[in-house]
Amino acid sequence: MASSLVVKLGNLIFKNPVLTASGTFGYGLEYKKYMDLNKLGGFIVKGLSVKEKLGNKPPRIVETPCGMLNAIGLQNIGVDRFIEEKLPKLENLNTHVIANIYGSEVSEFVEIAEKLDKEPKISAIEVNVSCPNVSAGGALFGKDPDMVFVLTASIKKVFSRPVIVKLTPNVEDIAFIAQAAEKGGADAVSLINTITGMVIDTKTKKPLLANKTGGLSGPAIYPVGVRMVYEVYEKVKIPIIGVGGIYSSDIALQYIMAGATLIQVGTANFIDPAISLEILKGIGEYLESEGIESISKLIGIAHAD
Amino acid sequence: MRLKIVQNEQIAKDTFVLKVDNPGLFEVLPGQFFMVKINDYPFPLLRRPFSVAGFSDTIDFIYRVVGEGTRILTTKEKGEFIDILGPLGNGFSINSTKKLLLVGGGIGVAPLLYLKSVIESEYKIRCDAYFGFNSKDEIFTDDGNIATMDGSAGFKGNVVEMVEDKLNSDVLVYACGPTLMLRRLAFLCFEANCSMQVSLESRMACGIGVCLGCVVQTADNRYKKVCVDGPVFDFEEIQWQAL
Ligand SMILES: Cc1cc2nc3c(=O)[nH]c(=O)nc-3n(C[C@H](O)[C@H](O)[C@H](O)COP(=O)(O)OP(=O)(O)OC[C@H]3O[C@@H](n4cnc5c(N)ncnc54)[C@H](O)[C@@H]3O)c2cc1C
Ligand SMILES: Cc1cc2nc3c(=O)[nH]c(=O)nc-3n(C[C@H](O)[C@H](O)[C@H](O)COP(=O)(O)O)c2cc1C
Ligand code: FES
Repeated sequence: MASSLVVKLGNLIFKNPVLTASGTFGYGLEYKKYMDLNKLGGFIVKGLSVKEKLGNKPPRIVETPCGMLNAIGLQNIGVDRFIEEKLPKLENLNTHVIANIYGSEVSEFVEIAEKLDKEPKISAIEVNVSCPNVSAGGALFGKDPDMVFVLTASIKKVFSRPVIVKLTPNVEDIAFIAQAAEKGGADAVSLINTITGMVIDTKTKKPLLANKTGGLSGPAIYPVGVRMVYEVYEKVKIPIIGVGGIYSSDIALQYIMAGATLIQVGTANFIDPAISLEILKGIGEYLESEGIESISKLIGIAHAD
Repeated sequence: MRLKIVQNEQIAKDTFVLKVDNPGLFEVLPGQFFMVKINDYPFPLLRRPFSVAGFSDTIDFIYRVVGEGTRILTTKEKGEFIDILGPLGNGFSINSTKKLLLVGGGIGVAPLLYLKSVIESEYKIRCDAYFGFNSKDEIFTDDGNIATMDGSAGFKGNVVEMVEDKLNSDVLVYACGPTLMLRRLAFLCFEANCSMQVSLESRMACGIGVCLGCVVQTADNRYKKVCVDGPVFDFEEIQWQAL
C-alpha cells in the first residue's frame, strides 16, 4: 500500500504537503501549461494589497551563488481585481487556493481579509508580515511581537477559515514572534520569507538593485529555514509551514523532519515550472522506501532523542 | 524539454553558435526566446534567456560569453542534452506595407538573422540589414551591411550613424542591441516619425511572467514584463529615459 501523504491544518485537509510559495507562482494560472495544478496540496497566490501596487523600479532581481535577490516591491493587481478576474478561473480546481495578503496598516489587512472571507474558493489566508522590500508595514510589522499579536487577532475576527502568519527571518528570535502569532490565534506559521541582502555593481560602484537591498531566496538559504523551523517547533503547538530554498525532495524532507507539516516551493518554480510535482514524487518514494505509512510520522522526527 | 546538442562552436571572438535538435513540436516567431538551463546542479541557479537566431532542422542560438553561465555553456559538447524552456515572449510582427530596415548591434544581431530569413523566405519581401560590431573579429554574419567602431571592416563608426538618413515615415525599423544604441535610435525615430519595434533585454528569473523581475518602465509610467509582454515592444511604449 502506498504511504499516506495527507496532512491537516486546522480543519483543512491537504492531499499532500506540497504547496507553492507566494510570489513565485503568479496567480496559479500561469503554470497550468506546465503541470496539473490539482496534484498540488495547494498554491499560494502573489501577495495582494487593497489597491493595485506598481512595485519598485528595475533592476529588481540579481542572481547570487545558488540564490537570487529580489526587490519586486509587491507589484500586484489588488484584491478586487483578483476576485473579479483571477478567482473565477481558479474555481474548478480541486486543490487549495491560499491568498497571501499585505497591508501598510492593520486596517488594510483587515479590509482584504473581510473581502476574501466572502470567497469560498479561498481556503486560507497567509498574512505577509515579512516583505523586506516595502517601506511601510512588511517586515517592520513582522519584527514586533505586539504588532504580530494585534494583527493576527484582528484578522481572525473577520476571516472564518485558517489564518497563516508568514514570518521574516530578519529577526533575532523567530520563535518569540511565532509565539506572538500563536497567541493572536494564528492557525499556522510559515517560515521563512527572504533574507535581506545586497549586491554592489563594481562597475557603477553602486548597489545593483534600484531598491538597494533585496530579499535572498533559493537553495542558498535552506539551512537557515530548516534551523528556524526546528527552533519554532520547540516553542509553538500550531502547525509550521516550511519554506526557503526547497528544490529537491531531500530538502523538503529536512524541513518536515525539523517540524514542518507542510512545505512551500518558491524560487525553484522559476527554474523548473513543474518541480513541485517532482518534489512531491520524491517525498512519496522516500516514505515507501523507508516503510513509513504516513508522512505525519516524520513531522518533527529530528527532535527525538 | 531536453534536446540534443547538434553543434556548439566558436564563430567569432567570444561568440558561439549553439544548435539543438528541433523536435518539431512548435513554431517559433522571430524575436521569441528560450530559457536555457546551464547546469543540473543549482549553480548557476537561474536559466539564461537566449533569442532564436535560426529555426529549421535545428533551433539555433548565437551567444556571447559574458559571465559564468555563458562560459559554462561553451563547455557543452555535441551529443549532450540541454534543457530549454520555450518558445517564450511575443516576437516581431511583420508588416509588409512599409520598407523594412533591420538594425542590430553586437550580439543583438542574433534574433535579426532569423527575422531576416523569415521576411525573405516566407514573406518574399526585401529588407535592408545594418549590423554594427566593435571590430572585425566580432563579426559573425555576412548577411547585411556592416559597420565597425574601429573601422576594421565596413563602415567606420556606429551602426546608428549608418542608418540615420534612412529613417522616415515610410520605414519600419526592427532593432536589437545595446541599450545606448537603442535609445539613440529611438530618439532619431521620434524625430523622423519612423516606426520601430525593439527587442529589449532584462534580467529574468522565470521567463513566464510570474516573478515580475524583468519589468521595463513604459511611457505612461507603468511597468510591462519583458518576458511575456515583450521582449519586442513598439518603441513608443517605452520610457527611454528610464533605461
Ligand atoms: C529576451 C532575451 C534574449 C537574449 N538573447 C541573447 C542572445 O541571443 N545571445 C546572447 O548572447 N545573449 C542574449 N541575451 C543576454 C543573455 O541572456 C545574457 O548575456 C546571459 O544571461 C548572461 O549570462 P552569464 O551567466 O554569462 O552572465 P552573468 O553576468 O554571470 O549572469 C548573472 C545573471 O545576470 C543575468 N544577465 C547578465 N547579463 C544579462 C543580459 N544582458 N540580459 C539579461 N540578463 C542578463 C543572467 O541571466 C544571470 O541571471 C538575451 C537576453 C534576453 C533578456
Ligand atoms: C520574486 C519573489 C517574489 C515574492 N513575493 C512574495 C509575496 O508577494 N509575498 C510573500 O509572502 N512572499 C513572497 N516571496 C517570498 C517567497 O514566498 C519565499 O518565502 C521565499 O522566496 C523563500 O523561499 P524560496 O527560497 O523557496 O524561494 C517572494 C519571493 C520571490 C523570489
Ligand atoms: S522573467 Fe519573471 S516575470 Fe519576466
